Amino acid sequence: MAAQNKEQKFFEVIKPHSTYEFIGNQKYWIGLSIILVALTFIMLPLNAYVFKSRGHMLNWGVDFRGGTELMIEFSKPIDSGELRKVLAQSGHENADVVRYADPSGKNKNNYMIRLAAVSVVSENQAKQIHESLAKEGDASLKKFEWSEGGDKIYLRYDKPVDPTSLGNSLKAIGIHTTQVQPFGRADENTYEVTLVGIDTDVRRALDAHFGAGAVAAIPQVESVGAKAGKQLQYDGIRSLLYAILLIMVYIAFRFDFRYGPGTVVALLHDAVISIGAFAVTYKEFSLTTVAAVLTIIGFSMNDTIVVFDRIRENAARLRDRRFDRVVNQSINETLSRTIWTSATVFFVTLAMNIFGVGVIRDFAFAMNVGVVVGTYSSIFIASPILIWLNDKYLASQRRQQSKPERNARRKRDELEPGEV
Amino acid sequence: MERSWWWKAVLYGVVTVTACLYLIPTVVPEAKQPALIKKYFQKRIQLGLDLQGGLHLVYEVNVDKAVSGKVDRLSTDIEDRLRKDKGITDVNVVREGRDDIVFTFKPPADQAKLDEAILRDYRKSVDLIERKPDTGVVRLRLDPDQVEEVRDYALRQGIETIRGRVDKFGVAEPTIIKKGTDIIVELPGLKSADFERIKSIIGRTAQLEFKMVDDGSEYMRRLAATVPKDSGIEVVPESWTEKDSGKQHEDVYLRSKNRDALKKFFDEQTGALAVPPDHEIGYEENQGRNEAGEATPDKYWRTFYLHKRASLTGEYLSNADQTWDQQTGRPEVSFEFDRQGAAISERMTGDNIGRKMAILLDDKITSAPVIEGRIGARGRITLGSFGDPFQLQQEAKDLVAVLRSGALPAPLRKTFETQVGPTMGRDSVEKAKFSMYVGAAAVILFMLIYYRFSGLIANIAMILNLLFMIAILAAFEASLTLPGIAGLVLTIGMAVDANIIIYERIREELRMGKSPRTAVDSGFARAFWTVFDAHVTNFVAGVVLYSYGSGPIRGFAVTLLVGIITNLFTSYWLSHWMFDALVGRRGAARATLSI
Repeated sequence: MAAQNKEQKFFEVIKPHSTYEFIGNQKYWIGLSIILVALTFIMLPLNAYVFKSRGHMLNWGVDFRGGTELMIEFSKPIDSGELRKVLAQSGHENADVVRYADPSGKNKNNYMIRLAAVSVVSENQAKQIHESLAKEGDASLKKFEWSEGGDKIYLRYDKPVDPTSLGNSLKAIGIHTTQVQPFGRADENTYEVTLVGIDTDVRRALDAHFGAGAVAAIPQVESVGAKAGKQLQYDGIRSLLYAILLIMVYIAFRFDFRYGPGTVVALLHDAVISIGAFAVTYKEFSLTTVAAVLTIIGFSMNDTIVVFDRIRENAARLRDRRFDRVVNQSINETLSRTIWTSATVFFVTLAMNIFGVGVIRDFAFAMNVGVVVGTYSSIFIASPILIWLNDKYLASQRRQQSKPERNARRKRDELEPGEV
Repeated sequence: MERSWWWKAVLYGVVTVTACLYLIPTVVPEAKQPALIKKYFQKRIQLGLDLQGGLHLVYEVNVDKAVSGKVDRLSTDIEDRLRKDKGITDVNVVREGRDDIVFTFKPPADQAKLDEAILRDYRKSVDLIERKPDTGVVRLRLDPDQVEEVRDYALRQGIETIRGRVDKFGVAEPTIIKKGTDIIVELPGLKSADFERIKSIIGRTAQLEFKMVDDGSEYMRRLAATVPKDSGIEVVPESWTEKDSGKQHEDVYLRSKNRDALKKFFDEQTGALAVPPDHEIGYEENQGRNEAGEATPDKYWRTFYLHKRASLTGEYLSNADQTWDQQTGRPEVSFEFDRQGAAISERMTGDNIGRKMAILLDDKITSAPVIEGRIGARGRITLGSFGDPFQLQQEAKDLVAVLRSGALPAPLRKTFETQVGPTMGRDSVEKAKFSMYVGAAAVILFMLIYYRFSGLIANIAMILNLLFMIAILAAFEASLTLPGIAGLVLTIGMAVDANIIIYERIREELRMGKSPRTAVDSGFARAFWTVFDAHVTNFVAGVVLYSYGSGPIRGFAVTLLVGIITNLFTSYWLSHWMFDALVGRRGAARATLSI
C-alpha cells in the first residue's frame, strides 16, 4: 500500500523539497523592507509640506480631518472650476472638488465636495452675528455663545425679545435658521438659534448659481467635528498598538518569548508599509482603512504562525543542525502553504478592488497591499529576528555551559556545511 | 462507518437545517414564507444604515456646562440663605473654574456666619476647601461624587430627550446609545427629505410642563361607553384613595398597545364627543403588569384627560434629585421650584389635592403622580409601590433627568453626522455582491484545480461557513453594513486557508508513504494548533476592531468575528468529518486520495 502512495501525484506549483535560499540572502530582503519603511516615513512629510496639491501627510477622510463631505448629483454638466468658484463665494474656500462615477455608472455629473466647515457659520460670521445682534429692539445682548462647528447659537438678552424678529434679523445678514426659540428659564431671556444644515446651505447656493433644480440629489453627507476627528485618529493608533501587543502576548504564550518580538516587528512593518501605500497613492485614508490595517495585522499572523510552527517542530527534530538552516528549511517546507493561503485572500480582495465601489474599494486596496506585505514579512522579517534572538539566547546559555562543551559545539557549527 | 461518524452526521445535519431555517426570513420574500417560519423564525439580517439609507448622528453632551450650572444654582441658594437667615448684606459670590464657589465677606468677620448649620444642609453637595478669617474668603467646591452624578444625569437627560423626540417622529428601530460623553443616534430607513427636520427636532431643548388630570369627568365616562369591542382599545376603570381625607376618586381611561389607534379614536370623535377645547388627551407608555404586580414584556399606552393649560413649566424648576422615602425606603424624586414657581405650585396643588398631576416632556406624559399634599417650593414624586426597587431607582433617575432638562440645560453639540440616501446604498450592494461572486468563483476554481476532490470538500465547507455566518447574523438580528459585506467576501478567501494548511500537511504525510487514512488523521491532528492559533490572532484583531469602531466598522468587526468562529468549525471539524467518509472504514480504506 505504501508503494502505491509513492506513485501518487499532486498538482503542485511549488515543488516539495525546494531549497530556495531565504535566510542566506536575508540582507537584501531586509534592505528592501528598510527602503519601503523609509519611503513611507519620507512620503508622509513630503505629502504634508512639499507637494502643494496634497497638503496632508495622508489623504485623511472627513472622519479624521473633520469637516463635511457631500456627494452631489447634478442634473446637468457642471464645470469643476466654476463649482469651486461658487463654493468659494459662499464662504468655502479651498474646497476639494472631485468628480466621481456613481455606482450605477449612469450619471456622469457627480461631484464629491469636501469642505473644512461643519457648520454654516464660520468664525468670522459668528463675530459678525455677535456685533449685528448686539441690540434687538430695546434689549441688548448680554451673552453670545457659539462653539465652532456647532449648529446652535445661544443669545442672552437683558430683556425679553421676540424670537420671530430675532430670526428675521439673522436672515437679514444672510444666516438661515430652522428655529429660534426661548431657552432655559423665563427670567434668563436666553434664545436658542438652530442653524440650517450645511447641506441645505450648499444646495441653496448651488441652485442659486446654476439655476433651480441643478442639484438633483445629495445622496450622502458626512460631517465630523474637528475634535471628534482628532479623537478618532488617536483611537485608531491606540487600537493598532493594542492589537499588536495582544497578539504578541498570545504568541509568546503559545510558543516562547523568542517568537514574540519577530511577530511584533513584522506586524509593525506590515502596518507601516500598508499606510505607506496610502501615502504614495494618496488614496483616502478613512476609518475603513484603519479597519483594513487591523484586519491585515490579524491576517498577516496566519503566515507567521504557519512558518513558526514548522520551525518549532523542526528545531526539536533537527537538534544538531544550525538554527538558521532549520529556519530556511522550514520556510521552504511551508512555502506552498504561505503562498496559497495568501493567494486566495488576494483573489477575493482583488475582485473587490476591481468591482467594488467607495469604502469597499479602499478597504480592498489596503488588503491587497497588506496581504502581499504580510506574507513577505513572515518570511523575511519575522524569521530573521527569530534567528537573531535565538542566537542571543543561546549565546547567553552557552556562557553558562562549561568551556569544553562550548568549544566542541562551536567546532560542530563551523564544520556544518551550508546545505539544507 | 464508525458510530461516532453517524453521531456527527446527525449533529451537523441538525446545525445545517437550523441555519437554513434562520436564513429563510432573510432570503425568501415574506409572502412566500411557510407559516412555520413566520411563527418561529422571524429574525432577519437588518440592512445597516449605510445600505438602507438613513441618518447617523453623534452628539457631544456638554456635561461641564451642566456641572457649572449646578454650581451656579447652589451658589445662589447659599447666598439666599445667608441673606435671609443670617442677615448678611455684603457678600460677593463668584464661581471659579467649573466646581468652585468663592464667597468674599465684608467685613471679613462675617465669614463665620457661613457656619455648620448652613453647611450641614449642603454637605452632600459641597466640600469646604478653605476658610481665611483675615480676608473673609471662603471657598467651597462641588463634591466629586456630585460632579459625577450631574454629568451622569446630563447624559441620561440627553438620551431620554432624544429618544422621546425620535419616537414621536415615528422612525422605525432607532438606536440611541451612550459612548463616553457622546450620544450616538442611528436612524435607519429615514427619507432624505426628513433629515433636516429630524435634526432640528433632536437638537431642540426639552419642553417640560405640569398639567392637572381632570379625573372622574363626565366626558370620559360618556366616551368610554362608545368604544367598539374589537378595536384594540380597552376601557379600564381605576380608583384611588386620598391619603389624608380618605376620599375616593374614580376614573376611567383607555388603553391600547398602539398609540396611533388611540389618537385616531379621539381625532375621529365629533360633536358632543369631541375633546372639549379646554381639555386635551395625554398619553403615557406603561409596562404591562400581571395580577401579582410583576412586569410583563407588554407595553401599552394609556390616556389621561388633561386640563389644557399648563400653569407650571420646567422654566420654574430649579432642581431635582433622586431621593429615598423616609418611611418606606423606596426611591422617589424630589424637586424644587424657584420663587415664582413655588407660588404657582402652591396654589395649583393646594386646589387639587387627591388629584393626579401629569408631568409632560415634549408632549409625552412621563409620570402622573397623585398630589398628596400642598406642594410649595419643594415637592416629591413617589413612583408607585410595587416593582423591583432597583428598577424603580432607575425610573426615578430617568425622571430626574427629565425634570432637570427644564432646569439644567446641557446643550448637545453635533460632532459627527452621516447621511446616506437609499439609492447610494442599493447600488453599492449590487457592486459588492458582484465582486463577491467573482471572488468566490476564483477561490472555488482554484481549490478544484489544485486539490481536486479535496478541493470540493473545502468548497463545500466554505459555502457552509457562509451559510452559518449569515444564519448567526440573522439570529442576532445584526445589521449588515457595506464594510460588513467586505467582511463576508473576505471570509470567503480566508475560509479555505485552514483547508490549504491541512491539505498541504496531508500531502506531506502521503509523500512519506502513509496510507490515506493515517495521512488524513495525522494531517488534521498536526495542523490543528497552527489553524487554531491563526484563528485566535485574527479574532484578537477583530475584538480590538470591534471596541474601536462604531457604526459600519462595527458591522465589519462583527462579521469578521462570527466568520472566524464558524470557520474553525467548518474548515476543521466539518471537513475532517467529510474526509472520514472519503477515506473510509479501517478495513476497506481507500488506496489513493484525490488531494
